[in-house]
Amino acid sequence: MSETPDLDLLAAEYVLGTLDGDEAAEAARLLATDTAFAAAVRGWEQRLAPLAAVVPPVPPPPGLWDRIAASTTAPTATPAPALTEAITATASAASASTMSASITSAASRSATTVGSATTATSAATSPAAAMTRPTTAVVVPLALRRRLRIWQASTAAALAIAASLAAFIVLRSPPPLDVAVLTPRTGEGPVLLATAEPNGALSVRPNGTIAVPNDRDLELWALAAGETRPRSLGVLPAAGGRLVVASLAPGTQLMVSLEPRGGSPTGQPTGPVLYAGQLAAVD
Amino acid sequence: MQTDPPPSALSPGADDTATLLQLCAGGDRTAFRALYDRWGARLHGIALRITQQTTLAADATHDAFLQVWREAHRFDPARGSAEAFLVSLARYRALDIVRRRAREVQGYEGDDRADETPDALTQLLGNAEGAALHRCLATLDAERRRLMVLAFVDGLSHSELAEKLRVPLGTVKSWIRRSLLSLRACLAANVELPQ
Repeated sequence: MSETPDLDLLAAEYVLGTLDGDEAAEAARLLATDTAFAAAVRGWEQRLAPLAAVVPPVPPPPGLWDRIAASTTAPTATPAPALTEAITATASAASASTMSASITSAASRSATTVGSATTATSAATSPAAAMTRPTTAVVVPLALRRRLRIWQASTAAALAIAASLAAFIVLRSPPPLDVAVLTPRTGEGPVLLATAEPNGALSVRPNGTIAVPNDRDLELWALAAGETRPRSLGVLPAAGGRLVVASLAPGTQLMVSLEPRGGSPTGQPTGPVLYAGQLAAVD
Repeated sequence: MQTDPPPSALSPGADDTATLLQLCAGGDRTAFRALYDRWGARLHGIALRITQQTTLAADATHDAFLQVWREAHRFDPARGSAEAFLVSLARYRALDIVRRRAREVQGYEGDDRADETPDALTQLLGNAEGAALHRCLATLDAERRRLMVLAFVDGLSHSELAEKLRVPLGTVKSWIRRSLLSLRACLAANVELPQ
């Protein structure tokens, strides 16, 4: 573009929703990094929102509330959500177990590359136990986390493990999983492995210890392909966690930023992005 | 660990949207349900208009309410209206979905739905902000006004608008920018925006 960029106009076009490709990406970047731009966006939201009144209301399909209620029943759906070990809701329980089972199976094979076959195999029984539990407030112990701890390995080795894990998941049909390896922006330190199920369950685990200052929290963000602003998925414990989110499409960029305690006050990343990676479909 | 939801602090009279949002921020599920009852059809209508498909619209409405629940604490009545907060979320989520699909199917298939009539725009007159916007939209010529409505309400991008109106992309961009500038000037003269 040859003309002088007018940030307020860019904000207006962003709110209007007309930006294509590169411009949309630029607006998303500014929204995440520039508080003046974010304020301009808010201003335009206020100006233009009344125009939505021309659209007649249409009752949502029956059952949508139940879906929303189920999606928000997870403990992570609180205002400053922290990812936790627990996954609630009847619907999620079975598929969570299934996912756990796939991971375990994949792990039992790929673990041979790091010599932990015994541990991985012995853990393979736990998902079956989880599946027979009552379906209210099931806590998934996530043996994956322990296994990942075992995989304390260099970044390169972790990437190789993640790749072989992905390769094994490819061979197992249901449920299709999306995986992402979030690598450190600095190139050093542990990596995070993210696995997403079609029902919106997302697990994010580091393969090492992430040092987070006392007055800070890690926050997880999703930027879908074609989406123009990252969406907060919640505060991420340094040890990783599991949460239920709206389903994430392959190609979604996952990012972890360093934020003030409790998460970004603005709704957009305010601190440096420490980790990033893209979800890829492996079904 | 999930515990029982806290009892609702929603009093019978406390049903205005800003209050509901603030209660949602405190984890009040009764308020969340009340917000859905009150706004579900409006937001779904907005999403349906943009996505043009019931299933996609339901996904967008679902995602929007999920985000409302998760980010209600980010709503600040001192900085804007609750309506703008909700409408914006619904539009962004619906736009996310159609932009993703647009890439999959390569290109927007414009429909020939009747354009917004001046009658429809009178819907804006329900409150002060809407009335100001209505007044300012009236200062644009008819084609520019139609462009703004197509963009905002139908969620068409610059290139989709250019295709639909059969005008060069650069022309569409420049029309939109000029319209936005004149709206900004007109609104600034008319109302004090909350900031």
